[in-house]
Amino acid sequence: MPATITSALRRPTIEEQMKRTTLVAALLVVATAASAQSPARQAPPATLITHATVLTVTKGTLTDTDVLLQNGKIAAIGKNLTAPAGARTIDASGEFLLPGIIDPHSHMMSDATNEGSLSVTSMVRIADVLNPTDDHIYDALAGGTTTLNILHGSANTIGGQNAVVKLKWGRPVSEMLFPGAMPGIKFALGENVTRKNSGRFIVIGQPQPQPRYPTTRMGQEEVLRDAFTRARDYQAEWNDYRAKVAKGDKNLVAPRRDLELEPLVEILEGKRWVHAHSYRADEMLMLLDLADEFGFKVRTLQHALEAYKIAPEIAAHGTGISTFADMWGYKIEAYDAIPYNVAVTMRAGVLSTINSDDDGRARRLNIDAAKLVRYGGLTDDEALATVTINGAKQLGIDAKVGSIEIGKDADVVIWDAHPLSVYSRPVTTFIDGEIFFDRDQDAAMRKSLAEERKTLEAAEPNKLPQSGRGAGRGAAPAETPAEEDHR
Amino acid sequence: MHLSVRLSGVAALAVLLAPPSSAQHPAVPPTTWAITGARIEPASGPVIEKGTIVIRDGLITAVGADVRAPADARIVDGDGLTVYPGLIDASTSLGMPSRGGGGGRGQAATPQPSGAPNSNYGLGMQAEIRAATELEPAADGFKAAHGAGFTAALTAQGSGIFRGTSAVITLRDAPVPALVVRDGIAQHIGFSRGGGGGFPGSLMGVFAQLRQELLDAQHYRDLKAAYARNPRGMNRPDHDPTLEALQPVLAGTMPVVMAANSEREIIRALDLAKEFGLKPIIAGGREAYKVTDRLRAENVVVLLDIDFPRRTAPTGGRAAANEDPVPERMDVLRDRVELPKSPGRLAGAGVRFAIASGNDYTNFLGNARHAVEAGLDPVRALKAMTIDPATLFGVSDRLGSIEVGKIANLTLVKGGLFDESAKITQLFVDGNRIEIAAAAAPSAGTGETPRRGAPGDDTRTEQANASHDH
Repeated sequence: MPATITSALRRPTIEEQMKRTTLVAALLVVATAASAQSPARQAPPATLITHATVLTVTKGTLTDTDVLLQNGKIAAIGKNLTAPAGARTIDASGEFLLPGIIDPHSHMMSDATNEGSLSVTSMVRIADVLNPTDDHIYDALAGGTTTLNILHGSANTIGGQNAVVKLKWGRPVSEMLFPGAMPGIKFALGENVTRKNSGRFIVIGQPQPQPRYPTTRMGQEEVLRDAFTRARDYQAEWNDYRAKVAKGDKNLVAPRRDLELEPLVEILEGKRWVHAHSYRADEMLMLLDLADEFGFKVRTLQHALEAYKIAPEIAAHGTGISTFADMWGYKIEAYDAIPYNVAVTMRAGVLSTINSDDDGRARRLNIDAAKLVRYGGLTDDEALATVTINGAKQLGIDAKVGSIEIGKDADVVIWDAHPLSVYSRPVTTFIDGEIFFDRDQDAAMRKSLAEERKTLEAAEPNKLPQSGRGAGRGAAPAETPAEEDHR
Repeated sequence: MHLSVRLSGVAALAVLLAPPSSAQHPAVPPTTWAITGARIEPASGPVIEKGTIVIRDGLITAVGADVRAPADARIVDGDGLTVYPGLIDASTSLGMPSRGGGGGRGQAATPQPSGAPNSNYGLGMQAEIRAATELEPAADGFKAAHGAGFTAALTAQGSGIFRGTSAVITLRDAPVPALVVRDGIAQHIGFSRGGGGGFPGSLMGVFAQLRQELLDAQHYRDLKAAYARNPRGMNRPDHDPTLEALQPVLAGTMPVVMAANSEREIIRALDLAKEFGLKPIIAGGREAYKVTDRLRAENVVVLLDIDFPRRTAPTGGRAAANEDPVPERMDVLRDRVELPKSPGRLAGAGVRFAIASGNDYTNFLGNARHAVEAGLDPVRALKAMTIDPATLFGVSDRLGSIEVGKIANLTLVKGGLFDESAKITQLFVDGNRIEIAAAAAPSAGTGETPRRGAPGDDTRTEQANASHDH
């Protein structure tokens, strides 16, 4: 990709810098207004991105193309589009436009990850514990990521309910939850479950933990079968009640609502999707068989490092996988992995994605996608799909995001080079047509944060008591790492 | 009740018989007092620049510029003193026994010691716990609070999820039944289990537990109603004290005090309250100033802890190695500057609030002064520590202002309450005088150099003040 390298290495022209500066001035006003607590927000102005190389992912690559973002949607794609009145225009000559990256497995911005006390904790919800101000969100935006699937941890066989979010950093959680995303739940098989509270680890000075059932893969299967059997009974109890009410019985008291079993009934009824942490082929097959037995679908196998061994079986179940590009060997069940996992499964017809499972990797998923070109010989679009449209399908949001198509949400990212190049960086990240990261805005923010720090450190309450020792502290580091300032 | 009546009678007799020497400690404390020539800030009316307050048998019997001290009264010379209504700490666990969750990490299968008898719910989830019956104040347990000028408090269990109901108590050394001013003020909710193994072991689990327990309480209500309508042919529902205790909460006749400090904690608490139609009060409220629109719109009161953060000197080896310290986090720096402004901001935004110590009695008056300096109207500040919490807790006919007929709870200050030189000299609690000893030496060995004395010190000292607040 010679064009990629060229555009990555060239310096911005003065004209481009001017263009950006004007944009920054407008952005800072927006950023200040957005920090107010009033939930009534003005629609962002329309944005016309011109002369970009548009990587639509689903409809090929369009060179020298304009894209209009209006009312939070992708309103037009074409050549020589006219900016509507009041719209800002961004000249993206030599730059690339990609849909916002979708990370199907994250634990970012959650104040709790595991409710590991029980083997079945379907009653807990990640949405209850989200931290919308987590600075990792901003870092992810700087890496072109706009949507996360935030999952419960893998401490127990049936974990908690997930949350799909748009990374509208600093907004209330209610504005970040992805409208219409399919409800989901985390399951977990294998070592993490058996290891948790297995009693094998003794911490000096701590009472030895009691083993928590199950401590084998056999036990995990039994936990699942028991839970879904109970869920069926619960479903029957409610169906019975509803039938009686429908017949006109007025003196009935509704059955007790059970927050553990309700989500499991939703799974049985196809209203909630299962995302199952799993590594070994045998445990994945066990789960698929058990799902057949109870008549539900497993939407994704998460990690699924041995999926390449059973790709046809996974495909036949209509199940997807979400895996790492090239990370393995960090525990016994993660030994038998190959970097061709995505390619092999994809060729067998499996809907495959790459995920981060990590706040750091969440901001460079484009590089993980590029590895699939190197190892598996995927096309650029196939590789990009593993971090965009495929994830959208796995989360039930593909009608809204995952590709650049008219009518979809304006969740798009301008990159300064082809995103499969290691030299590429996001320049501007849009969600619903609004800018949530911009490289020049970032520089301005660092400057204002450094100034705020200076002011704060000089303020009375921040001076060391008994000032002798602290006298020199006021002049603290002028060049504060920006990362510190976000946190 | 019997006990206190008899004591009063004996005390009155003792006063009559005792020689009129104020130097001698009578065996039985006097019950009639007159504070003369003092500046009086009643909180409910105009300031009396020089007046007298008469106390008899635990109550205020006269207040005014022209009031004369009765012949049988012990006199407190109020020259140079300002008398305020006794301060009320709006959110505490004063006098409550501590219930450490027994089990350690991972002890899921270990049975917990049960708090309430016959409860179907584990420790930390027992809404039926009542502060008024659980109180076990230690001897001198209120000493630190006295030092900060407090004479009464709202108290509830300090840990757990459902923490049970709170009571307003007066702070003195007396049998528990004599302390309770009003029982069953609110149900208290926290968002951590506070020790112990098993479910819930995470914040997510806490929310699930709260929801399930409230749903169970609704179901219990419906079952009992159905059984009351027609018990024939229906198995009687088991009596459940926990779900019973949640009925007034569900009905909206009893508020819930929810412990929440950060912006997102407050929003989560308000959302949960909305989900179940509860009447929330926010306790803690450190970042309530960021949620003022919603707090005002939903008419939510904040019990605002004013234990503002302060910079402490590095100690020991760290102090010596302080040449190149790690820069402090921006949010830490911001909080120290911004939080003292928060009471003024809440007032300015029209959010109702009462002030609580946040258990930092050593620095309480300094913190209150910082709040006033940072923009809180001093009149409003005084009300937020006296009549406002009294009104909120339904005891404003008994406490919270200096008026005839009210409980004789008074805080006597040398100088003004919000002056840098303010010094609490004595309190009256239920008409009993409590002298605040002169400044104790700052205690050593707390590990944090610039504390203004350790908790338990009688008073804050001017000297300690000066070392802190530049």
